[in-house]
Amino acid sequence: MAGIIIGAPLTRWARRNLLYCGISGLTGLLGFWIMVVLLAFGLTISASVLGTVVGLLLITLTLRLSRRVSALHRRLLRWLLGYQIEAPPRFQPGTGLLGRLDRRLRDRVAWRGIWYTLIKLPVAVIQLYAIASAVCGVIDLSYPVIWPLFNGPGLGSGHPLAVLQPLPFGGTPHVSSWPATPFAAVIGGAFVVAGVWLARGIDLGDRALIRGLLGRSTMAERVSELERTRTLAVEDAAAALRRVERDLHDGAQMRLAALAMNLGMAREKLDHPDSETVKELLDAAHRNAVDALADLRDLARGIHPPVLDSGLASALASLATSSAIPATVTADIATRPAPAIETIAYFCAAELIANATKHSYANQIKIKIYTERTGLLRLEVSDDGVGGADAALGSKRAQGSGLAGLAQRVSTVDGRIEVSSPAGGPTVVIVELPLRA
Amino acid sequence: MRVVIAEDAALLREGLTRLLEDRGHAVCAAVPDGGALLAAVAEYRPDVAVVDIRMPPTHTDEGLRAALKLRQDFPGTGVLMFSQYIETSYSAQLLEGGAAGVGYLLKDRVANVAEFSAALERVAGGGTALDPEVVSQLFRASRQRGGLATLTPRERQVLALMAEGRSNAGIAAELVVSGGAVEKHVASIFTKLGLPPGESDNRRVLAVLRYLGPAGA
Repeated sequence: MAGIIIGAPLTRWARRNLLYCGISGLTGLLGFWIMVVLLAFGLTISASVLGTVVGLLLITLTLRLSRRVSALHRRLLRWLLGYQIEAPPRFQPGTGLLGRLDRRLRDRVAWRGIWYTLIKLPVAVIQLYAIASAVCGVIDLSYPVIWPLFNGPGLGSGHPLAVLQPLPFGGTPHVSSWPATPFAAVIGGAFVVAGVWLARGIDLGDRALIRGLLGRSTMAERVSELERTRTLAVEDAAAALRRVERDLHDGAQMRLAALAMNLGMAREKLDHPDSETVKELLDAAHRNAVDALADLRDLARGIHPPVLDSGLASALASLATSSAIPATVTADIATRPAPAIETIAYFCAAELIANATKHSYANQIKIKIYTERTGLLRLEVSDDGVGGADAALGSKRAQGSGLAGLAQRVSTVDGRIEVSSPAGGPTVVIVELPLRA
Repeated sequence: MRVVIAEDAALLREGLTRLLEDRGHAVCAAVPDGGALLAAVAEYRPDVAVVDIRMPPTHTDEGLRAALKLRQDFPGTGVLMFSQYIETSYSAQLLEGGAAGVGYLLKDRVANVAEFSAALERVAGGGTALDPEVVSQLFRASRQRGGLATLTPRERQVLALMAEGRSNAGIAAELVVSGGAVEKHVASIFTKLGLPPGESDNRRVLAVLRYLGPAGA
């Protein structure tokens, strides 16, 4: 236990946290001052009758800036500490001058960003403090070694070294002799350890702040998002059942009816034997039975492919082998996702492969599936074809299209789809799903 | 007998055509949707039309609506509706204009070629042919429990066969009894249930269905 506490500075997370403290702290300070200045000007100017327009414009500018700054903080958190916080929905500009102004001023996400920048001030101060503590500590730690640089033979003695310490009280003790330097070193070590743990603590706090204020949504937004995706999930399920019923009716049921008819006719013919016709009827009946079996098999696979039971890796491998375009699968799944997630991932892959086969004229499809440290399952399907798929995702025409349907199904479990498909290719589609639904 | 078939699944359409032609009937036309059906009936004036309920474009009840129109515009042509499932409200709609020349069968019935053919001939001749499954659903849903309970099991069988639209001769053949026995049962049933006696076959179908409950008439 003591070992963990004292040995902390040597770990990777310590270095990452300190780095984050430094960069984020400085950014936070800078951001704070810029925002406060802009906001103050904006508010005071718009309070006066003459300056309303200018003031409002300033405030709007601050709000736009706030979104950028929030994005920067989220990105910092992701690069340096590896935590992915989902960005809130993009800004939807209004129409007309007043409409645009109105939407900008009512952009709750941007206002939350401003709150964050304001609260970030004390947080940034503590972050920089943590770094200062660590830096002081390192310097103090080195005194036993650098003492000779200042006080060796030839330089005379009597140059006491100040033991740097970040606390605002207690003054600055000095060490005046080499044997005393170990004390400085111990104090330095203590400050390094303290700084590292403070960095970790404040970074956790910052992360919580970012998740709460700069993340996807507040309670109300979350609820309406859940309502929307629940509707999608329910409609999806109903549509799937209708498809099953339709497939059964038009497929297996019809073939079995034809089978019954042929057998009935064959039986009638047996009373007045005409073996040619009887054989013909029985052959037809046999074909009906075989086709019905095939239909039922396809239907069952469309509901739940049995190969999924042995895991996503083998299921995707079997998809790859039956793909018209040659496909390779790379799988690295550390923890097995929930069955519902596996099913969604499988059908996403199947749909994406089918899309690529139909539209991309590609020579090769690459499928990658792996679990990320942050508890996400990532499926990447890329092809070297002609691209152009992201146009389909955004357009109104795509309402019933495969990609839009996939995006909806994925959003019902809080997943994400990212499509990168410039005209001319290549196309990369990334599906991110949580491990548990 | 001249027949027009309306069925959107090609496999079944061809099978039905073959089945009927084997039996010596003339299939004037085999069409895949409601519009083509009305045109074909107008052109060929068949004795009976065999109509699938579910057809394009919406695959819900196109066949039913085409059949109702047929009954209005071409009263001389019998209509035999065909479906993979039973929807009692459809049979009610069909019977609204009377029970003469109307039939509603499950596609399963084609498995028994003789029965299917007999039903078709009944409808072509102005009679009624309701699927036994429709009738048993009506019995189950009927609120006339008290009345039905007074019947003997044999009488219930006869009542069910009457509801299907069979004639006394048909009932006798089905139950393997004499025509006289059937007549006695019928008379007894009519007395017990208080139904008006002496009706023709298809009027008595209506009487029975009306007795059984709302879904029937």
